[in-house]
Amino acid sequence: MNKAITFDKVSKNYGSKEIICDLSFSINTQDVVGLLGPSGVGKTTILKMISGLEKPTSGKITLFSKKISYVFQEPRLFPWKTTLENVALPLEASGLSQNESIQKAKEYLDSMKLIDFIDYYPSKLSGGMRQRVSLARALSLKPDILLLDEPFSALDTKMKDSLVEILLNSLKEQAMTVLYVSHFPQEVDKIANKTFTISCKDNFSTSTATTRG
Amino acid sequence: MLLLVGWQILSLNMHAIVLASPMQTITSLWVMLQTPYFFEHFSITLMRVSIGLLIGGFVGFFLGIIAGLSRDIKCLLEPLRWLTMSIPPVVVVVLAMLWFGMGSTMAIFLIAVLIAPTIYINTARGIEMVDKDLVEVARIYKFSAFTILKDVYTPAIAGPLSAAIVLGTCQAARVVVMAELLGANEGVGYAIGFTRSNLEIPQLFAWVLTTLFIVAIFEFILFRPIQNYFTRWKE
Repeated sequence: MNKAITFDKVSKNYGSKEIICDLSFSINTQDVVGLLGPSGVGKTTILKMISGLEKPTSGKITLFSKKISYVFQEPRLFPWKTTLENVALPLEASGLSQNESIQKAKEYLDSMKLIDFIDYYPSKLSGGMRQRVSLARALSLKPDILLLDEPFSALDTKMKDSLVEILLNSLKEQAMTVLYVSHFPQEVDKIANKTFTISCKDNFSTSTATTRG
Repeated sequence: MLLLVGWQILSLNMHAIVLASPMQTITSLWVMLQTPYFFEHFSITLMRVSIGLLIGGFVGFFLGIIAGLSRDIKCLLEPLRWLTMSIPPVVVVVLAMLWFGMGSTMAIFLIAVLIAPTIYINTARGIEMVDKDLVEVARIYKFSAFTILKDVYTPAIAGPLSAAIVLGTCQAARVVVMAELLGANEGVGYAIGFTRSNLEIPQLFAWVLTTLFIVAIFEFILFRPIQNYFTRWKE
């Protein structure tokens, strides 16, 4: 198996505060990894460093691809863009023509059962619908690495289950390396085939891997 | 409507040399509208305001974006911003007349200098207040600098910016009329000065109405539809 993501003694400080210290782990391509750990241990920081939003203070991060999508805890849709435009804009930025982007965006919104809402602005959608748009935006780019930062934590159980199902179906159709951050092991168990538990011991960030068959 | 009634009541109680009645004003305006003299002065003022707004707006917007993105450049521009916003408009009028003489260059310079800081400060503040979470999304999905400017920053600052443009237009119209009154041979301000000298009070008030009409053209015909377009998602 090729390595998709490798952390080699990575540390991250915010000012004098050390968030991650000498963390090393690697993830294989097409692994679906759950990232568990208590609050403040640096799970989101790990995703931000992988996506390039943050740079490590020291150490090295190696990625096999730069084609990355990110679903945040909150949907982070552009409020002045319609549902369709929110999904089509990153596609256009990735180099597709406007027509191709719109076609592809419609295809993914249809798979998320949002085709009747393509002209709606985010403010007119429910929380679950907004998160589905965010998921459609991430998946439509066919990323090699998908980062999910507690994407369903603000939703009720029914909506959460429905979105987990959509995500699992997408993973069957589209092979990608997934990193799924959550506080809840049972949620991670539904999606991930491997779990990393991040903890901070004696000033070292450690990851413990558990693989499920 | 209330303003019109108040104006009518006041005009009945004041001498005709001080205040023309609404009817006298409208009649004068109607007569003026049928002369090339009116359009000559009206179009010159309209042209001066348009070009001044365009130059001042562009400079203010461009510098505002740079200052909003870079704290160092903002610090560098701050004294200039403070200077142009603090100096009384009449002083700028006198200086502009000294440097450019009388005429359009002076008026356009004046509008540009007075409007640029208003646009600049609102653009810079708007850029600073753009939701950083959305900028992160743009970075993750590798939007080009142009796309970020067009699809993230511009819609985010469109609301405060259009309010600043409307404010700037009112200011520009007031100042250009003052400048024309003090030092030009053409334009609405010059016509106001001329009618005042001849004590043609109804015509004077007709020209004042014309000034309001110039502001209305910019606010209601040009900027309001643009503002509505950019803020349609808020409805």
